[in-house]
Amino acid sequence: MRRIAFVLLTAWLATAGFTPAAQNGARPAAETLPARADSLKFAVLGDNGTGEQPEYDVGQRMAAVHAAFRFDMVLMLGDNMYGRQDPEDFVTKFERPYAALLKDGVLFYATLGNHDDQNNRFYKGFNMGGERYFTFVKKNVRFFVLDTNQLDPKQRDWLDTALQQSDDQWRICYFHHPLYSDASRHGSDVSLRVVLEPLFVKYGIDVVFSGHDHVYERLKPQKGITYFVAGSGGQLRKGDVRPSAQTAAYYDQDQSFMLVEVAGDDLFFEAINRSGAKVDSGVIHRQPVGSR
Amino acid sequence: MRPQAQTFPAHQVSVHRRRRRVASRLLDQFLRGYLALPVGVAIALIWANTAPERYFTTSHTLAFPVNEIGMALFIGLIMQEIVEAVMPGGALHSWRRWTLPLIAAAGGIAGSAGVYLGYVQGRYETILTAGWPIACAVDIAAAYYVLKSILPRSGALPFVLLLAIATDLVGMLVIAPQHPTSAVHGGGLGLMLVGLGLAGVMRALNVRGFAPYLVICGTLSWFALYREGLHPAFALVPIVPFLPHEPRRLDLLADPPDDDAVHHFEHEWNTVVQGILFLFGLVNGGVMLRGYDTGTWALLLAALVGRPLGIMAAVGAAVAVGWHLPRGLGWRQLLVTALASSSGFTFALFFATGILSTGPLLAQLTIGALGTAAGSLLAIGAARLFRVGRFAR
Repeated sequence: MRRIAFVLLTAWLATAGFTPAAQNGARPAAETLPARADSLKFAVLGDNGTGEQPEYDVGQRMAAVHAAFRFDMVLMLGDNMYGRQDPEDFVTKFERPYAALLKDGVLFYATLGNHDDQNNRFYKGFNMGGERYFTFVKKNVRFFVLDTNQLDPKQRDWLDTALQQSDDQWRICYFHHPLYSDASRHGSDVSLRVVLEPLFVKYGIDVVFSGHDHVYERLKPQKGITYFVAGSGGQLRKGDVRPSAQTAAYYDQDQSFMLVEVAGDDLFFEAINRSGAKVDSGVIHRQPVGSR
Repeated sequence: MRPQAQTFPAHQVSVHRRRRRVASRLLDQFLRGYLALPVGVAIALIWANTAPERYFTTSHTLAFPVNEIGMALFIGLIMQEIVEAVMPGGALHSWRRWTLPLIAAAGGIAGSAGVYLGYVQGRYETILTAGWPIACAVDIAAAYYVLKSILPRSGALPFVLLLAIATDLVGMLVIAPQHPTSAVHGGGLGLMLVGLGLAGVMRALNVRGFAPYLVICGTLSWFALYREGLHPAFALVPIVPFLPHEPRRLDLLADPPDDDAVHHFEHEWNTVVQGILFLFGLVNGGVMLRGYDTGTWALLLAALVGRPLGIMAAVGAAVAVGWHLPRGLGWRQLLVTALASSSGFTFALFFATGILSTGPLLAQLTIGALGTAAGSLLAIGAARLFRVGRFAR
């Protein structure tokens, strides 16, 4: 009877676009988010700036989770604002939805998406320092933030130099347009991939976060790099994912965000939907560059 | 005994000859540039959408040599035709011919840029703003040959040529200072002055051959632009005016008689340039079709609606204050002319790659640029609807 119930439950979850963590190659949930004192904790959010109720719901969920899992920063993967972007819109589409987190001192580090006004890089709340592309380090992790709306030669040269100079334990890159994605609307941006992936492989990028497709997806490691699409922080395209051989897990039924914890050589992650349900989880063990 | 020669029935011989004539004509049209670019684009689209990783790896490798070295010859060729058409004795020399087309060009630019910018602003995707010159581009050859097929002998042909030249010159002025590379080495001004000086000396010494101008002065000009981080594809633009010229009749991109050194440049390089156009289409025309987005629609609306409306409005305003339409160009013919100029294709593609770097913005605008080829069909459709030119009967 219990076996039948389990089979029925799994079948229902599968048709609802939910791949249980235990079935997608990740280690069981018990190993995720250990919440160690010395680890780096952050959240990841993409395509969120609608100013509509789902964005507020996600913001409230993040604040609720923050009470137990004290992440101190949020990576914003672009399309941080939709539609009009006047000063009052920064209140309704950013400051208000995430008021609790901002009050707690959580820092948001944004990249620009195709819907963002380029001048938003000067907005203090996005911590971009007025730059389209930049890098920053937190504990043992260096983040490389790119503007993939246009991968101009100057940006490419900057990235090459910045990656070359980095001797950090973890190297994480994030930008708006996914190099790998099984969503139907946009999918993988191969023209960017052939330029960026060789650099990522050469210099040992560990993880890449992107948005643009309004779903959540985790790809199987591609040339040693784990790719995430986390573009449903406010926007959503229900049922948009067409899973393929490269899909490790996906969720396209509700808005979601990610929690990440980097502890030593392990990166733990969870994807949580608006209702607080865990839709994916796992751990990535960092591999030295030469071993890939 | 000699073996009998094999004979074929008369109708088989006739079919065979016909096929050879068609194949020969197709090859001729390909080499004259009518088909080289579209064929390259077609192959690129199929390739990009079936094996994208291999396509984009190849296109990125070839992009610089094709776009910044090869296209320098194409732009030089176009520049030469323009110079010879507008010089004294040329078909487009009279200043009187320029005024109304210039007004029309201004109207077309205002119309297309206005619609483009209005659309992207309305959709709150201001990141696309920089792409407005792409919306203004006119494919000179497409406009010319579509009109020639509809209105073979009318004031519309010089009108559309002047309109297209003026419009594209504005676009080139915008994109020329864009930086295709990140490195700026300096010293370009000196190189350019040396190149221009040498070209002037050669002209004064009546050097008739084209090779010294292109090889020596053209190379200096190319490196001058490159070292300053500017588009070296425009290298021959300042050099071509120094070449020996003679006024040409109005037959754009035609292969002139190879009767003297003046046309030798065009005659020799025409086949090479068509090969370059094929490669240009192959390298730049490949885009994943699901990459369409706001920029695609903005560009299509701007080119196919904004530009024709802008041209009609500008010419209408000019006529209202006293200008006259050229002989043989009535309002229906003007509408067909305006629609014929709505195809951006080659130049839109060139402007897109000149303004934007690799990425999704370039992809969506490339799709729009290719889509503006529909302007030619709109022109033919309008000609049929309003019984213009060959559809008059």
